Amino acid sequence: MLIVDLVQSIVDGLLFGATYALIGIGFTLVFGVMHKINMAYAAASVGGAYAALRLITLIGGPAWASLLIAAAVGGLFGLLIYWLCFRFIPLSNPLATLMSTVGMFLLAEEIIVHTTDGMPQNYPVVVRGILDLGEFMIRGDLVFVFACALLAMVILLYLLYRTKLGMATRAVSQQPIAAQLVGIRLSHVNALTFVVTGMLGGFAGALIGSAVGLLSPLLVVPLTIKGLIVTVIGGLGSIPGAIIAGLLVGMAENVFQYFRGVTERDIYVMLLLFVFLVFRPGGIFSSTVKRD
Amino acid sequence: MDFYLGLLQIMGVHTLLGLSAYVVLLTGQVSLAQAGFMAIGAYVAAMLTVLSGWPLIAALIAGALVAGFMACLVGFPALRVHGLMLVVATLAFTEIVRLFFFNFDYQIARGSIRVGPLGGEGFRQIRYFPENGWTTLHVAIFIWSVVALVMAALWWMDRSRAGAVLRAVGEDEIAAQSCGINLTAVKVSAMTAGGAIAGLAGGIYAHYTTHIEQTNFTIMVATFAIAYPILGGLSSIFGTVAAVVFIQGFLIEGLRFLGDWRNLLFGALIVLVMNIRPSGLLDARTMATLRRLFGRREG
Repeated sequence: MLIVDLVQSIVDGLLFGATYALIGIGFTLVFGVMHKINMAYAAASVGGAYAALRLITLIGGPAWASLLIAAAVGGLFGLLIYWLCFRFIPLSNPLATLMSTVGMFLLAEEIIVHTTDGMPQNYPVVVRGILDLGEFMIRGDLVFVFACALLAMVILLYLLYRTKLGMATRAVSQQPIAAQLVGIRLSHVNALTFVVTGMLGGFAGALIGSAVGLLSPLLVVPLTIKGLIVTVIGGLGSIPGAIIAGLLVGMAENVFQYFRGVTERDIYVMLLLFVFLVFRPGGIFSSTVKRD
Repeated sequence: MDFYLGLLQIMGVHTLLGLSAYVVLLTGQVSLAQAGFMAIGAYVAAMLTVLSGWPLIAALIAGALVAGFMACLVGFPALRVHGLMLVVATLAFTEIVRLFFFNFDYQIARGSIRVGPLGGEGFRQIRYFPENGWTTLHVAIFIWSVVALVMAALWWMDRSRAGAVLRAVGEDEIAAQSCGINLTAVKVSAMTAGGAIAGLAGGIYAHYTTHIEQTNFTIMVATFAIAYPILGGLSSIFGTVAAVVFIQGFLIEGLRFLGDWRNLLFGALIVLVMNIRPSGLLDARTMATLRRLFGRREG
């Protein structure tokens, strides 16, 4: 039975890992374009999911609509973070934006606690049911989460590699000065990157809400940590790296939980990060990590 | 009166915490591991006084040494990567330490009760101060003497060659390296010194609160540790002290009358300060002005 349980937890972890991949992509994309880390990202993502939950209970509507609302609100939050934490702060000082986004992180978390009295909120079920494959069970909601995350990734990759906006984004991430010389406005591209990553984050936040079944302020810190770990394991600035690392972290988390229990599992996930730092400090795809 | 003495104690510990991050920040590295080192110092010092009956000073020094040693160990693999990767690596370290103490049981019977760390319940009965008849005033004076000692040491270091080397690495690694500075040695030493100071802060913290548990050493504490020097400015150790007074005295205690809204204002004010003064409250220009006003203090 060991093998069955193990495979089961690997599959569950892989499916849920898709949400970590989305959060990781958000961190990595901002890093690629601006060489900055947006510490408030996961907080804003969960905030987007909260706002969507509020709106959907207020105006009513199908549960899946909350995912789209969360994406829209997340995009708005992304823009807000860009304006408040990056736009007017000299980017040559790496500590200043780190600190301002940490301030934003605290603010976002407090707003969540303040508006919900710190109580967890039930999130509407989007998909229910279980796929029964003989010895294995596959949770329908996790499959839905995985499919939605894949869809979001495909849309993002299309945006980045097939549109003018994506070309500008990639140009800025490769050579900001050259990009300015050919007439790309840095502040526009930066702001748009924040909107796109914000939408991705809000969407991911809502997916997590629907998979876990509730939203809680306690999601914010672990999600930030997991997102950052995914970003580093995948290689800073690498989107395929973030996707694979997200799935890997989701899987590792579930496997360690199966073997060592819930209180110890995160220790091993962090140790996994150190293994990568020692043996492969550039991440899975270490092509883009020469700069920093 | 006790309230203000208590506030002084908190400020003292947080000043030490901020200074521990300050040393590392001087080399241009952002370390979120300070909460982890603080936890190590706290548990080691508390276990030595409670379980082994060591005197306080010896236990504090031992805690600082163990924390410094761990910082040295973490420094080597973590400093192979730099910048933002280091932020994440050190953040993971703090979480590992916290989760380690979450799963750590080591209790011995002492009279009718069992003492020692007990996993999620934490470590109770660290009663060195009450058992030896120290009053709140004594403790506050003791804490600030330690703070003054550490500040004097750092101030002296800042003016010596070591300070110049640290700042050189922080300003431009490649330029520093081409002057013959061994980057790894400098960074690992800064990390070790920072870890030792954080361990000292932890040891003191454990003894004045009398009860520690893993939730005292979260990422939030690590964030506060780097927030003090960044908000205060890296030009001088006094920036860190100013930021501790600003955050602990004004933002946390001074705004208590706002109730729940205080916490909201807290994050917003940090964002605001970073927008207005990106290099910290006491940046290089302010420090120069202050020096002019108060005569020549520095050579």
